[in-house]
Amino acid sequence: MKIIFHVDMDAFFVSVEELFDPSLIGKPVVVGGRPDQRGVVSAASYAARKFGVHSALPLRTAYKLCPQAIFLDGHPERYREYSHKVHGVLQRFSPVVEMASIDEAYLDLTGTERLLGPPLKAAHRLHEEMKRETGLNCSIGIARSRMVAKVSSDQAKPNGVLWILPGQEARFLAPLDVRRIPGVGKVTEKNLHALGIRKVGDLARLDEASLESRFGKWGLALAGKALGEDAGGWFDSEIGAEEDPKSISHEHTFDQDTADAARLDATLARLAEKVGRRLREHGLYSRTVQVKLRYSDFSTITRAHTLDHATGIDIELIEHARALFLKNWNGKPVRLVGVHAGSLEAAEGQMNLLESERQERWRKALEAVDKIRDRFGESSVSLASGMKGDYAERVHENPEGLPGKAPRGH
Amino acid sequence: MEFTVSKSDLVRELSLSQGVVEKRTTIPILSNVLLEAVGERLVLTATDLELGIRSSCPAQVVKEGAGTIPARRLLDYVRLLPDADLTVKFQENQWAGLICGRSRTRIAGMSRESFPELPTMPEPLAELPVALLSSMISQTIFAISAEESRFTLNGALMALKPDSVMLVATDGHRMAMVEKQQEVSGITNPYRALLPKKAMSEIVKLAQESHPGAVLRFAGDENHLFFQFGDRLLISRKLTGNFPDFERVLPKEHASHITIKRDELRASIERVSQFADERSRAIRLQVAPGEIRVYSSLSETGESEESLSVTYDGPEVEIGFNAQYLVDFCRAVPEEDVRFYFKDGHCAGELRPGADATYTYRYVVMPMRI
Repeated sequence: MKIIFHVDMDAFFVSVEELFDPSLIGKPVVVGGRPDQRGVVSAASYAARKFGVHSALPLRTAYKLCPQAIFLDGHPERYREYSHKVHGVLQRFSPVVEMASIDEAYLDLTGTERLLGPPLKAAHRLHEEMKRETGLNCSIGIARSRMVAKVSSDQAKPNGVLWILPGQEARFLAPLDVRRIPGVGKVTEKNLHALGIRKVGDLARLDEASLESRFGKWGLALAGKALGEDAGGWFDSEIGAEEDPKSISHEHTFDQDTADAARLDATLARLAEKVGRRLREHGLYSRTVQVKLRYSDFSTITRAHTLDHATGIDIELIEHARALFLKNWNGKPVRLVGVHAGSLEAAEGQMNLLESERQERWRKALEAVDKIRDRFGESSVSLASGMKGDYAERVHENPEGLPGKAPRGH
Repeated sequence: MEFTVSKSDLVRELSLSQGVVEKRTTIPILSNVLLEAVGERLVLTATDLELGIRSSCPAQVVKEGAGTIPARRLLDYVRLLPDADLTVKFQENQWAGLICGRSRTRIAGMSRESFPELPTMPEPLAELPVALLSSMISQTIFAISAEESRFTLNGALMALKPDSVMLVATDGHRMAMVEKQQEVSGITNPYRALLPKKAMSEIVKLAQESHPGAVLRFAGDENHLFFQFGDRLLISRKLTGNFPDFERVLPKEHASHITIKRDELRASIERVSQFADERSRAIRLQVAPGEIRVYSSLSETGESEESLSVTYDGPEVEIGFNAQYLVDFCRAVPEEDVRFYFKDGHCAGELRPGADATYTYRYVVMPMRI
């Protein structure tokens, strides 16, 4: 019998901010940017949530709902640092830990009873150690499937533990809104409502065949989920089973649309550098570089270039992104730029004859740079060409309305 | 303009222009061939602005003049005519009337006024045996880059010296260099130029139409290269830019080498590479005392291995290569034995013809990290 923990940090970004500025405690706090800025809420404190503010809400809307809230740009570096600390604590409880996002993780505690005691005792210890080591609260859902563990940690918030005993899954899920099921978004919810299915229990009463005929494979997954099974997409894989991403991309929306070629160029360089960093983190190499441009009127173009070799070197990504940009930019103000690396391969493949020395120098330099970043944070080292393109990075907790945080690669 | 030519003459000369005329052009007249009836000849000219070809055939000229017709359409039609004389008469409205036996056809043409003027050939710089240049092109052209953005690699470096001819081509992953001892009449100072790939393919085609001992006359101006094969003239724009310093790339020495039968190596690689990734074409060569193994595996498809016996007693070495790159060389090298020079999986490997080759042919290939 599997024992799965889903550990979800309570109001993670806001709680980290509170550690650095205790005067924020208890107040409505919105992380994501200034109220007059473009962009969306990354996280909201419980006090702000009472006013209807939640993540993924436009900042301006948040301001209308809760003008008295304290708006913060946030500190992605700190969140990452604390996420690492959280990971460190979790690793003491199980060798199988999968960070599903910056502030939540799945742990497989199967077979740890002799070491940690029964699940509730282990959860109690985890709570205490987490608080002691990081100063943060978390909620823990325990079940024999990840799906139910995730739903139960949500029900346990804040700072609680909820153990769904084996066999009780369907009974636990039945009274919940279908929307509580990870993977059920607005569209599926609407479709289910149209069928008169509002609660998970309604869903569980339907037979698989009719769900399948209506929703295809996703219907089968839904039927499984309604009974508390791990089914569908990412839930089909084991915890910690590393699925390589299909592509890696970074985008940036400017506060004000810009036609400043130097700024656009620098931003592209910065984005490409971040893409390069993540490629190397995954040990992957990309053969396709794609640039995305969105103009003021929201018309959007994407242009891709396939390389004659796979690369994980920033400067090569930058060169190709820059060439694509120069070839395709119409000179009008740009709202958003993005750099995307696709056709990912696990090996570098063909080595270069003419530039092997240059590539080798870059490879070594980047190896050193990545080590520095691991220790001192992402912005500790960067290429000069991207410096002007630096921007306040936005990191998101799981935005409400986007259930089932996929770990990566989506 | 009105003239009569033999169908077979016209088909032969028109075929030569097909590699030059643009198939998808934004300038419609570049799809046309320029026909000029002068004296007792018909002169045909085709160009895509990068490359131009001018040739001629005997004709009975009734009225001198010039006009242009879509080259592809003209050839496709004329090819189907019986072997007989064909009379072509251009009308005021630029339409061309074609009469051959009982066939009558009218093709819409365009005025010659908008057809680009080709540069005239300056004094020849050198004379070269056609067969020599053509064979050297076949030994290098496959290594030219297909990546359009790397335009200096979209052709080969041609270097002429008083006593030698050299061609070098690279796509950044491999490099083919061939040098043959040959007295080049007319050359006193070394001459270098970048020759575009398309011009090289046309030279090979023109060589096939030439007689075995033919000699071509070569000339160059600031922007163009000229190759004259008898009555046929090929004009190519030069590639501009700096060709990589190829001498720096050529390995000075190698740790080891082995000699292999070209056809056995090629056949093994072709078989084994059926189990290589379609895109990367990666295979492994494992050299061990007494044998070289060619190996490839695809986790969900299958795997394949072949062993060739060789004379070797050095340490075991494994190197990944793009199978296509190795096959390319095996197809291009005329000698039956090839030598494979190598050090390890991180250093460039090299293929050369076996010991009996009387010229320099070096093919340097970077490995793959697999």
